[in-house]
Amino acid sequence: MQLNKKLLLTFIVLVTLLIILILYIQKNQIQKNTSSINGVSVDSSYDIIKPKFTINNENEKILITANEGNFVNNDQILLKNNVLFKSDKFKIFSKEVIFNKKKQTAKSDKNSIFRAKGTEIKSEGFDIIDQGNIIQFNGKTSLTLSK
Amino acid sequence: MKILILLIIFISNFVLARDLGQTEITTDEGIEVFQNEKYYLLKKNVSILSDDFELKADLVKAYFDKDLYDIINIESEGSVFLKSSKGIIAKGQKVNFSTKEESILILGKKSSLVFNDIFMFSENFIFVNNLTGKFKLEGKGSELKTNDIQISGSLIDGNYITANKINEVEMIYVEDSNQANIKTNKINMFAIKANYSKKENIIELFDNVKIIRDNEIITGDYANIDTLNESYKVTTNKSKKVKVLINKIDE
Repeated sequence: MQLNKKLLLTFIVLVTLLIILILYIQKNQIQKNTSSINGVSVDSSYDIIKPKFTINNENEKILITANEGNFVNNDQILLKNNVLFKSDKFKIFSKEVIFNKKKQTAKSDKNSIFRAKGTEIKSEGFDIIDQGNIIQFNGKTSLTLSK
Repeated sequence: MKILILLIIFISNFVLARDLGQTEITTDEGIEVFQNEKYYLLKKNVSILSDDFELKADLVKAYFDKDLYDIINIESEGSVFLKSSKGIIAKGQKVNFSTKEESILILGKKSSLVFNDIFMFSENFIFVNNLTGKFKLEGKGSELKTNDIQISGSLIDGNYITANKINEVEMIYVEDSNQANIKTNKINMFAIKANYSKKENIIELFDNVKIIRDNEIITGDYANIDTLNESYKVTTNKSKKVKVLINKIDE
């Protein structure tokens, strides 16, 4: 009877340790699967394949495409891998961009390249505001103009 | 070691080299593109390098025409330094220039513009249009210097001509409520207003006129100076008389 008590105690301790180990591994796995952009944590397993969005203003239509997309919340989508903003006038290339479909804005803190006719801008990120009328290139930025 | 340094310089020059016809702009705190308003806002430690000019400033607004690459006007502020391929060096708190109209406006204290042999200084305003040759300086202590003449006043207005890559002042109007000053190699002249014509070789002085040449001082209300033979005629209002002071120099 005493042996049984010892066995039971050992079993309980082992099970408890196992549960703690499983929980620890799960927690680590979750942390590995999350990435952070602009202070927003997002599950990296993607929600949308080849997402497509548009920003419309009076003068142009900007088509946004990427390889993957994750819903951050109801309005924000994290676009990843080969993110491209394309209009009749320009293209912007980036790795990761947060797009707000309600406000029609976009933000990236990753290296980005803007290309238009005779124009190339390289920056450490960008913001698209005012429905695409204003594009802010952030950080150390270079602009090359060729006639 | 020397070879290594030369190699590094050569490689860095090669890597950083700007192609002919290209304009290279760098900033520390980004660029904003305003598509509807058609301008770039360039922020902090701005450097612009092109075939035609080099500009350094803290903040620059660069307006483009139809296409993004076609810069037509630049408004810059904060320790501005501008050097053009035509020999213009401009410094000031604010420098605005138009690439199409070839005009430069410099505003603020310690404004200066050097255009080959013409030197301009002002504490307020300098404007030069290279297509028309017109220039204007405003503000107390504004100054214009060439090899032949030195002019100071609160307003200097005139034009220059360019022949064989040499700039020559053609006409100048200068005024100062205290006294404007025109100085040639031999004569020092003071008046409230003055006109200078290089073409006609004439300097006209109006009001509170004072002419100093060698050891003689002449005062009056109007003077007409022939800059070729340095002769002059001084007149005065009816109530006053022309005054001549001759200082005797001991030999």
